[in-house]
Amino acid sequence: MAEKGKKEKSRGEITQRRRRDGGEVRGRKRKSLSSSGKRKEEKKRRSGPRLPNALKRELERLNPTVDGEASDGDDEEIDSDAAVGNDVYEYEEGVAEEESTRNKRYDPVENYEFELPEDFEDWKVPSDGEEDDDENEDPGRHGRLLEDITGLSADAFGGKKKKDLIISEAYPECEFNPTGDILDGNGRISIHDLLDPLHGKSGFSKLRKDLHRMGKKTVPTLAPVARTDQERIERKAAYEQSKKDITKWEPLVKRNREAPTLFFDEDKELGYSTIGAIASEFTPRTDFEKKMASLVNQSEVVDAHKRDGARLLELNEVSIEDVKERQERLAKMRDLLFRHEMKAKRVKKIKSKTYHRLLKKDKSKAAEASIRMDPEAAKEHAMKIEFKRAEERMTLKHKNSSKWAKRILKRGLDAQDDSTKAAFSEQLSQHAALTRKINSIKESSSSDDSSDGDDSDDMSAGSDQEAAEKLIKKAKEKTLQILEGDDELPTSGVLALPFMVRGLKKRKEAADEEAKLALEEYESSLKQMGDTSKSRSSDKDAKGAPGGKMVFGAPEKVVNRTTKKEKVNNYYGDSDSESDADANADDNTLNDHTGKSLKEMDIDPSLLREEFGFSHDSVFKSFGDAEDPEPKTAYEVAYLSSDSWKKVRKSSDAVKGSEADLNVRKPGIVAQTENDPESEDDDEDSGTDSEVEMVDGILSSGPKSSYELPSQAELIQRAFAGDDVEEDFIKQKEAVLDEENPEPEKPVLLPGWGQWTGVQKRRGLPSWMLKEHEAAKQKRDESLKKRKDAHLNNVIISEKLGKKAEKLHTKTLPYPYTSKEVFEQSIRMPIGPEFNPVTAIGALNRPEVVKKAGVIIKPIEYEDVSVHERGEGGRKGSAPKQGKVNGKNRSRK
Amino acid sequence: MVVKVAKVQKTNLLPVVEQSEEEKMTVKKYLRGEAADLGELQDKKLKGQLAVREDLYGKSAQAAAQAEKWLMPSEGGYLEVEGIEKTWRIKQDAIAAEVDILSSRKQFDIVLPDFGPYTLDFSLSGRYMIAAGKKGHMALLDMKNMDLIKEFQVRETVRDVVFLHNQKLFAAAQKKYVYMYSDNGTEMHCLKEHGAVTKLQFLNKHFLLTSINKFGQLHYQDITTGEMIGNYRTGLGRTDTMEVNPYNNVIGVGHSGGTVSMWKPTSAAPLVKMLCHQGPVTAMAFHSNGHLMATAGMERKIKLWDLRKFEVLQTLPGSTKAMQFSQRGLLAAATGSFVQVYGDLSGSQEYSRYMGHSIAKGYQIRKVQFRPYEDVLAIGHSKGWSSILIPGSGEPNFDTWVANPFETRKQRNEKEVRSLLDKLPPETIMLDPTKIGSVKPATKKEMPTKQDIEADKEAAVEGAKKTPLKKKTKGRSKPSKVTKKKQEAIMRAKKPFLEKQDEKVKKKRKRAEEENQLPKSLQRFARKAPAS
Repeated sequence: MAEKGKKEKSRGEITQRRRRDGGEVRGRKRKSLSSSGKRKEEKKRRSGPRLPNALKRELERLNPTVDGEASDGDDEEIDSDAAVGNDVYEYEEGVAEEESTRNKRYDPVENYEFELPEDFEDWKVPSDGEEDDDENEDPGRHGRLLEDITGLSADAFGGKKKKDLIISEAYPECEFNPTGDILDGNGRISIHDLLDPLHGKSGFSKLRKDLHRMGKKTVPTLAPVARTDQERIERKAAYEQSKKDITKWEPLVKRNREAPTLFFDEDKELGYSTIGAIASEFTPRTDFEKKMASLVNQSEVVDAHKRDGARLLELNEVSIEDVKERQERLAKMRDLLFRHEMKAKRVKKIKSKTYHRLLKKDKSKAAEASIRMDPEAAKEHAMKIEFKRAEERMTLKHKNSSKWAKRILKRGLDAQDDSTKAAFSEQLSQHAALTRKINSIKESSSSDDSSDGDDSDDMSAGSDQEAAEKLIKKAKEKTLQILEGDDELPTSGVLALPFMVRGLKKRKEAADEEAKLALEEYESSLKQMGDTSKSRSSDKDAKGAPGGKMVFGAPEKVVNRTTKKEKVNNYYGDSDSESDADANADDNTLNDHTGKSLKEMDIDPSLLREEFGFSHDSVFKSFGDAEDPEPKTAYEVAYLSSDSWKKVRKSSDAVKGSEADLNVRKPGIVAQTENDPESEDDDEDSGTDSEVEMVDGILSSGPKSSYELPSQAELIQRAFAGDDVEEDFIKQKEAVLDEENPEPEKPVLLPGWGQWTGVQKRRGLPSWMLKEHEAAKQKRDESLKKRKDAHLNNVIISEKLGKKAEKLHTKTLPYPYTSKEVFEQSIRMPIGPEFNPVTAIGALNRPEVVKKAGVIIKPIEYEDVSVHERGEGGRKGSAPKQGKVNGKNRSRK
Repeated sequence: MVVKVAKVQKTNLLPVVEQSEEEKMTVKKYLRGEAADLGELQDKKLKGQLAVREDLYGKSAQAAAQAEKWLMPSEGGYLEVEGIEKTWRIKQDAIAAEVDILSSRKQFDIVLPDFGPYTLDFSLSGRYMIAAGKKGHMALLDMKNMDLIKEFQVRETVRDVVFLHNQKLFAAAQKKYVYMYSDNGTEMHCLKEHGAVTKLQFLNKHFLLTSINKFGQLHYQDITTGEMIGNYRTGLGRTDTMEVNPYNNVIGVGHSGGTVSMWKPTSAAPLVKMLCHQGPVTAMAFHSNGHLMATAGMERKIKLWDLRKFEVLQTLPGSTKAMQFSQRGLLAAATGSFVQVYGDLSGSQEYSRYMGHSIAKGYQIRKVQFRPYEDVLAIGHSKGWSSILIPGSGEPNFDTWVANPFETRKQRNEKEVRSLLDKLPPETIMLDPTKIGSVKPATKKEMPTKQDIEADKEAAVEGAKKTPLKKKTKGRSKPSKVTKKKQEAIMRAKKPFLEKQDEKVKKKRKRAEEENQLPKSLQRFARKAPAS
């Protein structure tokens, strides 16, 4: 221990000295080595460079006192230096070029070399420093010892010691101040230096030869590859490696991908199946559980359980002592409780206020102390406070909402005595205290709001009056708008009818009247305000305020606005001459603000007459409309019953011909047709015979002789009976086709275009017109050709899909499909249970992944899947058991 | 004379050797069409998935074909003759002598001379029949035990009668309106909107009651909600030939002009309009596979049409007022008091005479109706109705999920609920129902959407921006000039789009104006725009 203490002491001295050294000018070169330990640093400090003598002298001259003072220390330094220099075994590790940050050729590299701890001490090897220290401690000791022994003077021994003066550099070494070694190129230990002492020893020549050879043959090491390249190479190698690793998974992953279904239900065992199983694995953890377990698992108890249980009763026996003890304990507890209760009662009865106050104080003190000491209590306290706050916020108990507070308020606060007032303010302050935080937040937000509102409203208007003025102006504007806005009357539709127009006008006039009154009001109030503002502004002017101009400008503005309105009105009047008069009227009303009522529009008698006529006509028309469809149907019925088809067609043509004709003819036809169905009905109702007869009449030879050919005349008659039918149909088809693909219009020239000169006539139509027409025609033909009924003369197939049926089709091909045919063929088979045998339904509807609930899907495990097996798997993919082949979980990648 | 009546059930006439071939056929049937050509596909993943799917389909079809053997044990039979005998010469007496007692009981005539001619309808399972005389006599019968469930008089003309989804409800087209009755003769509803209906049909999968009235108006009414789904004017006059195509539930209406039009409830224009005959169409019928239609014209021709190509397959001579296809494809056509049954026994869509039956002379046949799942043809005529045996007409195997002749009350209730849940919306009715779910056919004029237009415009602008400008000399490539030129180019690119927009707006305005326009007769009263 003592030794160690000494060592420490010496170390302390060293550090001290070093500090001193640093303070002196002869601060020595120090390599900035972060990695090496303290010891190393020390060493380095010693191996200082030699300075050229001239430099030394110069330095001496500069600070002689310092030198003289340090001379003693210097001696030692030289000593140690010499020792280091001479000691072959004390090799000093050179610093790697990268590490030395000397010329910044290398990027800074973190040095991960092992760093000795600060207080590390190598106790086995006594350091040089220590030796030195010993010497330093007592420099003359050795000499004295020699003197004592030999009787010679110490100088005889120490004479050979040269007392060279070493002056360290003027500046600490760094890259800007290179050491002499580096500058001179010497001071490095070469191999020759090492070899020299071996000169003459056996094997020296051989060694030298070898060295020579090695020296000659050393191939210059190649410059390291650029980092990016090196990294690339490394990555490549790593990629190859990992590729090899990963490709082995390929077949496995492929198999899983191709499998129609993956099964994850291998692990049938879901851990626990019964409560008993769960219970059996129970291990007691807490103390209580352990105690219970030890009791339950007592061998006796278990034994007793295993047997008939009769022994359990025996085990249940309780000793008298135990019972007594328990009773005693209970009694004690009860007694304590009772005493406590009594005490509480007594305390409660005490009426002394001071006592209670003191008690309260004590309590609060204790609570505070506990809060300070006990974090739990503090937390509780905080919770309590928070709860109170919340309660207050919710109930607003202390905000004059209590009965008491209300009563006081009702009677008036002034009527109360001081203490009540105090109590009242107290409760209010309580409320404030409880809701302080919230209030503060609210205040800030509300203030923001208000400021916003101010910004928006009072951008220009400073005072209330100005705001009011503005409001009124706004209202005025609105009314003006209303006054002008709706003076455009509808020009078409039912609303355009004269009586409607008149009604509209009347209503508008009333509205205008009202609006005008309102306008007047606004005007007058505005004037008032303007006056007041004027007076105010004049006041301001008197005071010399510069804002007078603005205020004066306000009424002017209003005037301007109205004039502008007039202009606008005029503009409209020009554009829409119909509403000219109205607009003018409006202008008038605007111009004279006195607000005279407009004269009533005089009703044009002719218009009135028209109106009546119209109403009469409309009634007639509506009747016609109502009648229209019915006769038509009846008409059809009629022509069904009639024999000749041609006549019917003719009449139908006639129907198309003119409306007037229709109107004239209709009654007659209606009458006729009305008769016809009636008669038919009568026929039907009257019995079967007539109808049967009719049928017989047509199919006279039908019934029994289907072999018998009908007579030639009959045949012909029948064959050509409905010749027109075919033509009709063709016409119908054409109509339908035209409707769906309209025929392009024939190219025509503008009438009069080029007709004077006759040039156009000679040339005919321009070629582009013809071309366009041709193209349109071709397009139509093509679309007609595409129709399903293109080749079927007697068939019209509707190409319309119908909007409602659209939802039964997909709009686009679903994702993986690229061809419509494939998709449609893939959905041709129903997969429901109604359409497939039970054996196939499962496979048809199996999901992609079959997994039992609760099964944990483990990560994929490697298994060797040979190519052959894979092929099989692919083929048998549908078999439900295929997935379970290896009894391992597979997961999709 | 050897008559071999292949009994309706439990007879396997086909040799064993063909079994494999037959199986192939059934497998093909269950595959429901060709698989897609996967070789064309580029997407490997999709290809793999489809291959797996196809494999599954194949297996399912195979399984279904195998199951069919057990699920559909009975083969339909037909009349077979030897030598020079002809099937159409075989009389009902001869058949009755050969068949079992139960079958022979199905031959009968009911004579009800007072209220004739009778029209008939069978319930889906073929167990119940409703007969309605023109003069208002209606009878609901249980055909299994020949029980008369209810018989009542409406004292009004009854033009047609039809069962609704089950025998508990049926609709009758009476003199003025259509009425719905329950099985105990209670009038449930009076459907006045239909008007004086001449013919009724019921689409049981869509719960649509379809009618055509005297004015040729076609009505579709949903009987579950009472909503009138469609009300269309055929515009082709009065008719009483209207049939349902059982394959796609398209309604076919025969008109007096010789045309047949086909309708769906969601469009006012007919899906197909075809000229079938020179004279008025008197009767029509649809085969249950939906491909075959038979029409009869006044010009004494019965035509068989292929509805896939809308072409005539065959023209048979003869005129008829009532026609129907049986479940197995026999065609019964009635003329006067004679019923002719055609069949394509060779299996080549060549219909020829199969059987014939003539009832008492002077009886006018009004309706022929094959009984489902039985080899029975019921004939409603002016003096009652009769029932004859037509071997090979009915489907021998019934699916109890579809129609169960032995249905209990509970089953019926269950089925009612089930069919209501499975009710198809009216828009599913289309010419080719297999197209449901497929890609929407491209409409002729696909209007570009707003986004499309916007994208086009942007692309045009981009293009205009990107066009390189020529390097010009003499200050014509000054930056100011260049920017100006560029802006001009952009404006030029934008112009057509803007113009189009303008046009649209103008059109809209014009249309609005037109709508606002007064009727012509009132226009002269309108305020005249002053000429200026």
